[in-house]
Amino acid sequence: MDLGFSKDQKMIRTSVREFLEMECPSDKVRELEEDEKGYDPEMWQMMAELGWMGIILPEEYDGTEGDFIDLMIVIEEMGRKLLPSPFFSTVALCSLPLMEYGNGEQKERFLPSIAAGEQIWTLALTESSATYRPSDIKLNAALEGEEYLLSGTKVFVPYAHVADYLLVIGKDEDGFTMFIVDTKTQGIKTEVIPTTAHDKQCEVTFDDVKVPARNILGEAGRGWDMVNFIFQRGTVLKCAEMVGGAQAALEITNDYAKKRIQFDRPIGSFQAVQHKLAEMFIDVEGLRYLIYEAACGISNRSPSDLLISIAKAKANEVYQRTCIESIKVHGAIGFTREQDIGLYHLRTKASEFALGDSNFHRDRIAAELEHYQAPTL
Amino acid sequence: MDFDFGEDLKNLRREIREFVKEELPPGWIMYRLEEENTDEDWEFAMSISRKLSKRGWLTMSWPREYGGKEATLWEQMVYREEAGYWGIPGVSMGVGGVDWVGPSLMHYGTDEQKEKYLPLIASGEPDGVWCTGYSEPDAGSDFASIRTGAVREKDGYVINGQKIWTSAAHLARWMWLAAVTDPDVSVKHRGISIFIVDMKSKGITVNPLINYTGYHIFNEVFLDDVRIPLGNLVGEENRGWYQLMHSLSYERGSIGPSACGFGRRILDELVRYAKETGLFQDPNIRHRLADMAIEVEMAKMFVYQIIWKMSRGDTLVYEPSMDKVFRDLVAERLATTGTEILGAYSQIDPLQRDSKWTKLRGCVEGLYWLFPGVSIAAGTGEIEKNIIGQFGLKLPKSY
Repeated sequence: MDLGFSKDQKMIRTSVREFLEMECPSDKVRELEEDEKGYDPEMWQMMAELGWMGIILPEEYDGTEGDFIDLMIVIEEMGRKLLPSPFFSTVALCSLPLMEYGNGEQKERFLPSIAAGEQIWTLALTESSATYRPSDIKLNAALEGEEYLLSGTKVFVPYAHVADYLLVIGKDEDGFTMFIVDTKTQGIKTEVIPTTAHDKQCEVTFDDVKVPARNILGEAGRGWDMVNFIFQRGTVLKCAEMVGGAQAALEITNDYAKKRIQFDRPIGSFQAVQHKLAEMFIDVEGLRYLIYEAACGISNRSPSDLLISIAKAKANEVYQRTCIESIKVHGAIGFTREQDIGLYHLRTKASEFALGDSNFHRDRIAAELEHYQAPTL
Repeated sequence: MDFDFGEDLKNLRREIREFVKEELPPGWIMYRLEEENTDEDWEFAMSISRKLSKRGWLTMSWPREYGGKEATLWEQMVYREEAGYWGIPGVSMGVGGVDWVGPSLMHYGTDEQKEKYLPLIASGEPDGVWCTGYSEPDAGSDFASIRTGAVREKDGYVINGQKIWTSAAHLARWMWLAAVTDPDVSVKHRGISIFIVDMKSKGITVNPLINYTGYHIFNEVFLDDVRIPLGNLVGEENRGWYQLMHSLSYERGSIGPSACGFGRRILDELVRYAKETGLFQDPNIRHRLADMAIEVEMAKMFVYQIIWKMSRGDTLVYEPSMDKVFRDLVAERLATTGTEILGAYSQIDPLQRDSKWTKLRGCVEGLYWLFPGVSIAAGTGEIEKNIIGQFGLKLPKSY
């Protein structure tokens, strides 16, 4: 048992934090909300040069051979500063399955470009129901000779409007198949969905999009295994991003409670406020270790669906509650565009519904409990 | 970072389960304080204490010279977690014997005190059972306002005052007492000392306080001109508050894990019950059980954090308070949701655990009727949140 981070991991955290403090102040986040791309290509290049995109890739693909925990730390820090970028979609959702399931040629072709920051990727998974059940996936993949024709619509696909490639899950006669799709292919239409957070989630429509059979990731018909693989890792990394945000919201609010004077005293000296902050602190600390526990399972290649769903269900609850309580502690000023706390709250909904809402995860936890064998004597 | 326990700890777990299988009746479960309620339960608890002592588990983290086996904090955690899960009674030697009296004596006690009291606790015999005299009628959350006084005379101290909510006072051989030794000091925390009091001393009266469900766990204790030797002062005179604050952290290595184990057991029992009765197919029940599983796991994380920090030699300040607040919240959730799942049968008196109407040996009802008291004991949620705010979040003192 060791709940601490290694020296290298602490260094990763410090360097990511310092970079983002400098390059991604809250005004940058506001500015990028209005930006068409929704990310800063210059900053993106700097991140690539710092080795972030390849942090978990092997050296042969120009990565730095870090492990899952290293990547989790990077994403936690990004959540802390609300970095708007296609990092999550490219690295967390796509580079990991490419690494795991890609053939030699695919890995050779795509991974070094991802590591270099030359390609943006995203995962086109959810459809009109915006949920993660296999029965909700209907995008049709019809095999015609050496190619597939994809037809259907995916929604809430992050950063699809700037992506170079998509991982698309479709249904064919073999079952589910994962396709690597070049976004320049004819028949793809992308539209940015007008979310409150202006965070660049898209609808992507496929109208008889031709995909050569060699662009299947892994085996045809085994796509749902890949969805599970992505889901396990992506969920934990999304949780890390969320706890980073919740931690920041708590810190901002705690600082405010020390400075704001009413009745001649800092409001943080009143128990009604202090106890609320204490409860938020408990929530965030407890959540943090639930996530780390689930992440260690993945890192040791023994992912636990139970722990992953526990972490996400809790993260959904805690991130939202922390933000709402934070705004209340701020009072009316917390309701303004100028205060950072609102930026965090705006992003809670995207995180909540990405990779499973709370009821979805409660169902999964219950299913695990159903099969779980309590210890017997 | 690694959450794996490793082979040694897994083996320890297996050994403890073997012990449980041999020594406890089938299906046994018991909440931590329930053992104090009846003579019969207490006798059984003491018989187990002796056996735990023989195994070297009772005081496993203590040095060998005092009856321990220098177990690591992680081993102790596993042992207490299992003890909580299976409801092993007799693990604590009253209130505080194993958890803070022993460790405090090792830290502040004289050689004479260590030689006399530590082996008694480690033996698992009734002469090693303690109660703790902290709270008073006018000193609950504001504990430094105690008024029980100890006046030094040439051959000993004379103690006068009253303690209340003293769990296990009716069973204990010794009291770990906080009393005022300097009533004139400007800061009241600087006038408190810790003493060892023989419960057989002249002038001690123990009156049972029966709680509203009929449990006899705590008592009021009157001390009238109780004389104790000078050598029964622990540590320095007037430094008792600071010694006590330090020793509170010892408790955290044991109560937390045992509460976690018990919480997990309640969850497992409820899941089993829901499956057997078909309730598990109700989506609402499924989600409520899922919510409990989340909370139980999160409570475990606080315990792991604390043990990990202690194992690195870090000083704990606000962390135990977080663990306490959350642990109490989980107990409440398990108890309230648990009784909803049992439905009308949750009305059965938990003291009638073998009745034909009783479900799950009354463990859910036992928790239900005891959790409010347990959440108040050793620091109310409000007091704990003050500590978290002041020391964890560095907010101004709020009271």
